[in-house]
Amino acid sequence: MDSILKVQNVTKHFGGLVAVNNVSLDIAKGEILGLIGPNGAGKTTLTNLISGIHWVNEGKIIFEDKDITLLPTHKRCRLGIARTFQIARPLKNMTVVENVMVGGLFGEKRTLRQARMEAEEICSRIGLEKLDTHFDKITVLDIKKIELARAMATNPRLIFLDEVMSGLNMDETRDMINTVRKLRDSGVTVCIIEHVMSVIRELTERVIVLDRGEIIAEGPYSEVSMQHNVISAYLGEDA
Amino acid sequence: MKTIKYSVILLLLIAAVLLPVFTDAYFISVAITILTFMTLSLSWDMMLRTGQLSFGTAGFFGLGGYTAVIISADLGVDPYTSIIIGGLVAGSIALVLGIAILKLREIYFAITTLALASVFSVIIRNLHKITGGPSGKIVYQTLFDYDSTKIYWLMLGIALGTIVISELFKRTRIHFAVDSIRADEVVAKSHGVDIFKYLIFVFVVTSMIQGVVGAAYAQQYGFVSPESTFSAHYLLLPISMALVGGIYSTIGPIVGAIILGLSSEYLKLMMPYGHLIIYGVIIVLVVLFIPRGVYGTIRDFISERKHR
Repeated sequence: MDSILKVQNVTKHFGGLVAVNNVSLDIAKGEILGLIGPNGAGKTTLTNLISGIHWVNEGKIIFEDKDITLLPTHKRCRLGIARTFQIARPLKNMTVVENVMVGGLFGEKRTLRQARMEAEEICSRIGLEKLDTHFDKITVLDIKKIELARAMATNPRLIFLDEVMSGLNMDETRDMINTVRKLRDSGVTVCIIEHVMSVIRELTERVIVLDRGEIIAEGPYSEVSMQHNVISAYLGEDA
Repeated sequence: MKTIKYSVILLLLIAAVLLPVFTDAYFISVAITILTFMTLSLSWDMMLRTGQLSFGTAGFFGLGGYTAVIISADLGVDPYTSIIIGGLVAGSIALVLGIAILKLREIYFAITTLALASVFSVIIRNLHKITGGPSGKIVYQTLFDYDSTKIYWLMLGIALGTIVISELFKRTRIHFAVDSIRADEVVAKSHGVDIFKYLIFVFVVTSMIQGVVGAAYAQQYGFVSPESTFSAHYLLLPISMALVGGIYSTIGPIVGAIILGLSSEYLKLMMPYGHLIIYGVIIVLVVLFIPRGVYGTIRDFISERKHR
């Protein structure tokens, strides 16, 4: 397996709470990986560790053979690691297209003109309209799309999508699934964190299941979803 | 539309340059004061756009003033060069301090910059041999020999330079860095913005502007003292001007400086005792009823109508 990201024995605790406990995983170049698990399993914390929002307490993170464990967040972004936020965080003092331009200007060092053209191109590709409106007059779907477009504008090699489907209706979900597929087909490796299992089943080749900060299962969704420990992690011991 | 805009700017520019030809000495001195505070106000706003509230304005103003007077009086540097050096010294000190304090945020950053300004003044008060201590320092060769028209043009030049820098900050990638930092630092850094680099850069540039203004101001009178040069005036007036005019813009602080500058002169003539009370009431009313400032309110009103 030709891997793009290696997480080696990573541990993170917040005070006494161990959020991620001795986790190791590989993400293969070009795959769509699903990261699932019940609430509080450590999925978002793991994303934060990989993108550099938090520092690891122990362990190593290696991206394309480069040790990035001690690299600040903005440099990891420039190397090609992008992410969206679980609770969408639009930059409220900017218009839709300006939000997307931020990714292109700093993730990829384009000029203003290039960044604007690129942002408009990405927006039209994923069906984001009303480019010059401020965010307060925009739907949930559009805010989710801004998250995605802004991350895409950094020209990533690996992208983490943290619950981009939640809150969307069926048509919108279908839309988003197609967008993610196209993204992967353009050469970006995708790691998707999701609670909507139909999306995981449809999109991913492989899933990793986290529970209480530890990996409890790994493999194709059809196999993993049958495992006893995975079912009990979601539903409790008696299920 | 664009031609109209540029013609208006050009006309205003010509009017500003030719102002001393048509007015008397009193009005020129008022205009000089307005330009001084306008530049400070704009520089304070430029830092505020990053989300950092700085109370260091008076401190860097004072540093620039002291530097200029000391090197002119003791080292014989000519007044014009001393203004530039005043700015460079303020900028270098901001660089060193910024590396230490720009890790702080919000109220912690604000209170630290306020403390630093007092520290400058305490140090200067106690370095008797260099600074003249509490009684201050005098330089006998003053700028343009009190020729107020030339002083006006100098302050206008500094103000215009600052306006150009402010607009550059608004029209380049700096704008996107600064605005994203203000809105959400986590989003900014996850999309490649080097937050610390931009904060340091803006802090140094704005402190340098404050140093230049302080140096030019001190050179007009040829005098600095701890009380007058580090006065809270040079902090509080610029902030009120930006708030009255409208923050996060170039035009806001300009409008605010003109409104408050002219009204304070007028009020002083109307009621020599107690004019500051009315002045304070104006500021309170503006903050309460038009929190986006005069310019900000007008701008938002126009863009609301356009989008309807």
